[in-house]
Amino acid sequence: MELTDADLVARVLVDEDQHAFGELVRRHQSSVRGLLRQLTRTDFALADDLAQEAFLKAYKHIRSFRGEARFSTWLYRIAYNVFREDARRKKELVGIDEDVLQAEQDPSTVDPGLRQDLMHALSLLPLHERTAVLLCCQSGLSHDEASRVLDIPLGTVKTNVLRGREKLKKTLAAWATN
Amino acid sequence: MDTVNDIDELDRQLRDAAPYIDDAGFTRRVMATLPSPGVRRQRVRAAILLSITVLASLLAYVLSGGGRFVGESVMRIGQLGPLGLLYGAAAFALLITGLGVVAFLSRDRDLRVGVWSRN
Repeated sequence: MELTDADLVARVLVDEDQHAFGELVRRHQSSVRGLLRQLTRTDFALADDLAQEAFLKAYKHIRSFRGEARFSTWLYRIAYNVFREDARRKKELVGIDEDVLQAEQDPSTVDPGLRQDLMHALSLLPLHERTAVLLCCQSGLSHDEASRVLDIPLGTVKTNVLRGREKLKKTLAAWATN
Repeated sequence: MDTVNDIDELDRQLRDAAPYIDDAGFTRRVMATLPSPGVRRQRVRAAILLSITVLASLLAYVLSGGGRFVGESVMRIGQLGPLGLLYGAAAFALLITGLGVVAFLSRDRDLRVGVWSRN
């Protein structure tokens, strides 16, 4: 029988069982790295470094996980905070110039497949909308969970998801007609 | 306004567009950066066990009249016949073997518990 995330966390807490934590990393590495790859606009090396830092923080602060939320939600919150700290350090979050960033995206590099179109369209969204769409639509978090991860009001999450979806659909529709 | 079908379709496409990222040594790298498991807790556990052992030994020593029973036991063993010595040795060997088997099974159980974490 496969142990649940809560069982594994309990083992880490009680026995300081690093094998149990390793299993948690194995289970969630793909989703955490995927989220960070999207947030960093597909900078894989940076995303993996941030993911590694996020898991290390999760291990060190695992006592603060009280099981009120899913372990994955708690992990996303840490990963998002690690990303924000890194972005803040690099002055990419505070005073971010979205126009410049969007101009860096070259439409001619878009691949014809839908999957590539979608991910490219997603990378064109502003950070706050991209993050909300990623968490709610791709990672399957509820709006309430996403608001806890992002530490913003529930209404803001809903607005960001709605706007992000609308922009995605418009972008995809525009590319489809070209 | 989005219809439910539009939203579902876009969400489905987004989920499909997120490929599973192969571990490719990522977990190993994370594990290598973790601090070593609680040395302090192990020391506390060892100190408690040692204290209990010392206390129990002192108690046994006092209650047995200063360990006089040890000398008496040795005398009794010395008075045993060859058959008695044989039975005694066999019982002692069985006891040691039993303890060894228990220790082995305990270790084996720990290893089996660790199997899931490597799969």
